[in-house]
Formats: sequence, structure tokens, C-alpha cells
Amino acid sequence: MSGNNHQYAFFLGCIAPNRYPGIEAAAIRTSKNVGIDLLPLKGASCCPAPGAFGSIDLNVWYAMAARNVVLAEQMGMDIALVCNGCYKSIYEVNHKLKHNDELRDGVNEVLKEIDMEFKGSVDVWHLAELYYDPKIVGVKKIADSIKRPLTGAKIAVHYGCHLMKPSKERHFGDTENPMWIEELVAALGAEPVQYRNKMQCCGAGGGVRGYDLAHALDITNEKMINMQDVGVDAVTEVCPFCQLQFDRGQIEIKEKFGVEYGIPVLHYNELLGLAQGMSPDELALDLHAIDVEPFLKKIL
Amino acid sequence: MAVKKDYKDQQLAEKLRDRKYYIPDSNPEFIKDVEKIGQTAAHMCYQCGTCTGSCPSAPRSSYRIRLFMRKAVLGLEEECLTDPDLWLCTTCYSCTDRCPRNLAPTDAIMAMRNLAFKRDIIPRNFLQTVQLIYKSGHGVPNNDANRAARKKLGLEEEPETTLKYPEYLPGIRKILDHYRLKENADRILAEGE
Repeated sequence: MSGNNHQYAFFLGCIAPNRYPGIEAAAIRTSKNVGIDLLPLKGASCCPAPGAFGSIDLNVWYAMAARNVVLAEQMGMDIALVCNGCYKSIYEVNHKLKHNDELRDGVNEVLKEIDMEFKGSVDVWHLAELYYDPKIVGVKKIADSIKRPLTGAKIAVHYGCHLMKPSKERHFGDTENPMWIEELVAALGAEPVQYRNKMQCCGAGGGVRGYDLAHALDITNEKMINMQDVGVDAVTEVCPFCQLQFDRGQIEIKEKFGVEYGIPVLHYNELLGLAQGMSPDELALDLHAIDVEPFLKKIL
Repeated sequence: MAVKKDYKDQQLAEKLRDRKYYIPDSNPEFIKDVEKIGQTAAHMCYQCGTCTGSCPSAPRSSYRIRLFMRKAVLGLEEECLTDPDLWLCTTCYSCTDRCPRNLAPTDAIMAMRNLAFKRDIIPRNFLQTVQLIYKSGHGVPNNDANRAARKKLGLEEEPETTLKYPEYLPGIRKILDHYRLKENADRILAEGE
């Protein structure tokens, strides 16, 4: 490990390592190129899924998320992650337990059974915010790391919900029309495009994808229509669950509603990987349900 | 002399005077439970409808978050917890972000879902996630196609999680067992078959 790099415990979550491993590979390599070392967080589990677990019993959600935080506390390292759902669980539970003694005591009573204790000694970050933060990386350093600019590519940004909302418990500012991920996309040489109702949910969260797929897809479909209207070459996001919903969702939308969009879906780390010169094979882009080839033709 | 607003029909007047709990089977404790679990002062809701207007589920279903907020205040526990619409919230937090009363309607919904689960009312997919995490630590576990892809990427076949270090699983199971979550998930799923 190079001495001057920032080091973080890398919380993987479920969908990135187990469905889109290209995101994991890209996150490690692209981060290294901009001065961030992501170290394995051994023994981490599902965050756990905030929609599913939070709906069943918030106390279990607190305890399970706290266990993941404690693993990082034992390493003495802040957590970095690549998924909005994980961010909701890990960031928010860490935040709540740090500020609510009653909650923390309750959680620690359970953690005691497995010889763990939540101390509140680390912070939790989404990689995207570390990229944007000039004290850690900053847009300029991202731009400087680019070897193959994505010139001419029109890209829609999907922020997702749980990174920035509820804003009261976050530090991102405006959630009605944020532009900071667009800045990160522009740093890759691509053209970020605005579209109607940008901040709308992908439709998958809260257990709705599993509970009522047609309902979830109808929300996704509205987003696809709005993106297609402005003519995008790809959509980028910072959440593998949103990625799954847009990527596989387009196949399901075709089956259920008979409409086809063919808009490639790429996690920001996959885009950054391409722009830094990683090959499509090194990103396992063949695992995507929607063919990424038209987008690659445009940029390669 | 102060004028008191009243109705000629004394029964109706009595009913409307008690503005909160006028349905015989309403439970005044319900709103307190929702507020405690959801950690939000749901009774402060003044029914402006910003929440429903911000909701991605509202235009495509009969789910109305504002209605749930009102029903919670009125103590209509049964109606809230048995309504299938309760599970159509995507937890996007748009309503929470825009609420002019600084409430968290999303968390009120989460609280109602927690209370529904206590009565075994819960969609099956939520419980299946519990079973998966109990087994592997992951809600979305690894598979062979993915292992092959990981290998090609130069990653280890199993990620650095409970999948590679199953010795961490007993700890996770202890937490879930503390809340008897797996046991209840198994039971409810079996009963539904």
C-alpha cells in the first residue's frame, strides 16, 4: 500500500459482489488511481437490506448493521461503500447509534452476546462523495486520472434515494435538483443530460420489487420514458440495486409491458473504469442484461 | 359571550367533539406505538398532502401515504395494518424530505409495517430475505455463474464477506435468533403454504 493513500474498509454489500462483480473490481482499481486504498472488511454481511429488515423489525436492522460497523471499528478504519441501500443501513445506523444513547445501549446489549461492542469510533462514506470531496479526491483529480475520455456520450444520472434522503440526517444539501454527480460525469469527458423528474425513485426499494414487481416496474418505466425522451446513450447510478432494477428491469418491462428501451446501465465506478482505460472484460460488462455494446462503440 | 360551535343533533355533536377517537374500535395507543417505533411526531400531521403528491407509488395505485398518516392519528390500527397498500411504499423518503411539518411519514409507514409483522402480517419476500441472510449472511447470495465471472476478473470466487469467512455466520445467527426472527419467518412461511 502506498503511504500517502487514504485507506478505507470496503463494505461490499450483496448485489455488487454477487451480481455485478465488475463494480467491485472497478471500485478497487479506480479508487487506487485517485489515491484511495479499499481494504477488505472481513466477515461483513448484508447491510442488511433496509427495506426488508427495517420493515420487519427496526431493532434487528440496527443490530445487524451495527455488527458490520463494529468490524470496521476493530480495523480502526472508516467505511467506504458503493451502494445507496448499504449507505442507508450502515451510515444511518452508525449515525443514529452515535447520537442516541438509548438505542446504542439496546444494540450493545445484543452485540454483547457475540462479544462485540459498538463504540461509535468510525464514519461511513459513499465512494461517490469521497470522489467529489476535494479534501479526499475532488473532481479535478478524477479528471486528471482519465486516459480515455467518454467524449460524445450523453449520460443520464440517477441519484437514487437513500444516498441523499432523508436530507435531515445527511450532509448533501439540495435533494430536489443536485448536480454534483453530473460534475463527476462531466469529469470523464461525457455530457451529463437533464431529464424530467430526475430524482424519482427507481421503484425497487422498500421490498416493493419483491412484493409487487409490476408496480415497481411501472415506476422504472416512467424513468425510462423520461430518459429516452432526451436521448441518452446510457444511465449511470451509484447503487447496484438501482442498477439491477434498470438493467434487468428493462428486460422485465419488455416481457410485461411490451416496450423496449435498450438503454445501457452503468455504475459510476464502471464508467470511471472505462474512462481510466479498463477494458469491458475487466469490468465484466457482459453480465449486464442490457447490451452495453452500443455505448462502447460510441466511446471506444 | 363566547359562541360554542355545536350541532342540534346531540349524538352527532358528542361524536364530533371527540375529534380523535370516534370509531368504537379505534385504538388510541396505535399512534403512540407508531411514533415510538418510527421516532416521528406523526400526530403533528396537518394533512396538507405534500407526501402523497411526492409519492412515486401514489399515481399508480390506491396507496395514499396521507391517508395512512390520518388513520394512524385516528387509531385505526386494524385498517392500517391489514391494508395491502401498506407494502407499496418504496421508502424513497421524498415525502419525508418535503414534509412542511418536518415529520417522517416514511418512518411512520416503517413503524406500521413493524407492528403488522408482530401480528404475522408480512409479504413472503421479506421473510425469504431473512432466511437467505440466516443461511449465508447475504440477501443476494453468490452463484456459480458469478463465481466464474469473479475469477475472470481476478477477484476471489467468494467475496471477503461471510461467504469467504463462514466462521462469522454464528454471530449473525445469534443476533437474528435473539429476536426470534428466523423462527418466526419459517413458521409464517410454512403456515402460508
